[in-house]
Amino acid sequence: MREEPDSGPMNSLNFDDRPALADHVRLKIDPVSGDAVLLYPEGVLILNSTAHDIVKLCDGATNGHEILAALSAEYEVDESTLRADAAECLADLLRRNLMVLNP
Amino acid sequence: MNYRPYALLAKVTYGCPLHCPYCSNPVRYPQGEELAAREWKRVFDEAAQLGVLHLGLSGGEPLNRADLAEIIAAARGAGLYSNLITSAVGLDPKRLEEIKKAGLDSVQISFQADEAGLGDTIAGARVHQRKVEAALRVRETGLPLSLNVVLHRGNIDRLGNIIALAEGLGAIRLELANVQYYGWGYLNQKELLPSRGQVRNAGVTAQAAQGRLAGRMEVVYVLPDYYESRPKPCMQGWGRRYLTVNPVGDVLPCPNATSIEGLSFENVRRQSLAFIWNESASFNLFRGTDWMPLPCRECPEREIDFGGCRCQAALLTGNAYVTDPVCAFSPDRSKVDQLLFALAQEGIPSGGWIARRNP
Repeated sequence: MREEPDSGPMNSLNFDDRPALADHVRLKIDPVSGDAVLLYPEGVLILNSTAHDIVKLCDGATNGHEILAALSAEYEVDESTLRADAAECLADLLRRNLMVLNP
Repeated sequence: MNYRPYALLAKVTYGCPLHCPYCSNPVRYPQGEELAAREWKRVFDEAAQLGVLHLGLSGGEPLNRADLAEIIAAARGAGLYSNLITSAVGLDPKRLEEIKKAGLDSVQISFQADEAGLGDTIAGARVHQRKVEAALRVRETGLPLSLNVVLHRGNIDRLGNIIALAEGLGAIRLELANVQYYGWGYLNQKELLPSRGQVRNAGVTAQAAQGRLAGRMEVVYVLPDYYESRPKPCMQGWGRRYLTVNPVGDVLPCPNATSIEGLSFENVRRQSLAFIWNESASFNLFRGTDWMPLPCRECPEREIDFGGCRCQAALLTGNAYVTDPVCAFSPDRSKVDQLLFALAQEGIPSGGWIARRNP
């Protein structure tokens, strides 16, 4: 049972958090396709280029606001779209147990 | 169409200190010398070039190989994500440190049950408590831990406790696979096949755990396919995504493929992996859909289950080229139903299974 109702990874992301790939996940460029992929036990997740850019910034030291700021410098889309995309990407990785917060 | 392998299963030895009655080792062991670590290195380098990302190091018991760290280092050198699939017998602190340093990515420990009495009976050795201790040590090193538990009539009713064991040990993944009835498992089928009611209850338990543990521990539950009406998409199709190299270097489209009478396989000592994957007769035999008989050939689900399992077709009908008899559309489905009916009539078995032997 979950003891703390707010700790569930499915809940919306708090941009004060510092995301990082979980210990069991390795980011790699697939030499055959050139795609960025996450490797973990018995699994492969192919990242699109936006997700790759987000994941590269998830070092456990950079928080969500800083990740957004870094992305806005590169992407010519409005902040709210970027924010929604980043939140969705990170929530998905948390749900898949591939990401942790504030390691 | 070009196919690309994503995962390589390297069976580095057939030897194992356990004697589980459903072992995936072949019943008739192939002859030959085990591949040396330097030969595995070449296999891994060639596999990575073909597109393989994942490596499962299995056996037998891979820890039986004194040079396992060297094999793991070779996998790391090739850029593969390596998972050690082990009974954990022999995973002492020194060994664990050695394989971690060599670059191992994750450890998957097999358990036979949630407690020592039953677990040791199934394994044919006093190993349960040692597995628990080894699992805790793996967690201490920071290596990700998965558990696999093969389910059958003798342990499936304890599924709730088995899931609790995996949670307690801090596993990130729990693989609950019902026995696949090939090889040793087929020999012991009467002792192992659960009843329909047991399977139904286990499915409910597994599904509840999947919901409750989402985001913390991945729970994978594989049904015994005799109780299904469609075949499993065995290996995601023959020669499509997976390859297995056995201890003596034979390259197989599926770990059980040597059980099919009349097929022969290439060996890494004589051919390159690229040739074997792309050109060999064995890998092309059941690739794609052209080989398919009716009803598969005209079935809208032929790209979903790929006609099911070739080994199962061969085992139950004597012909590897027919639709998997598990399928409700197979003209041979009655063979599966007769097996299920006979087992249901015979009631509780004696417990007198045949224990797996080493080569």
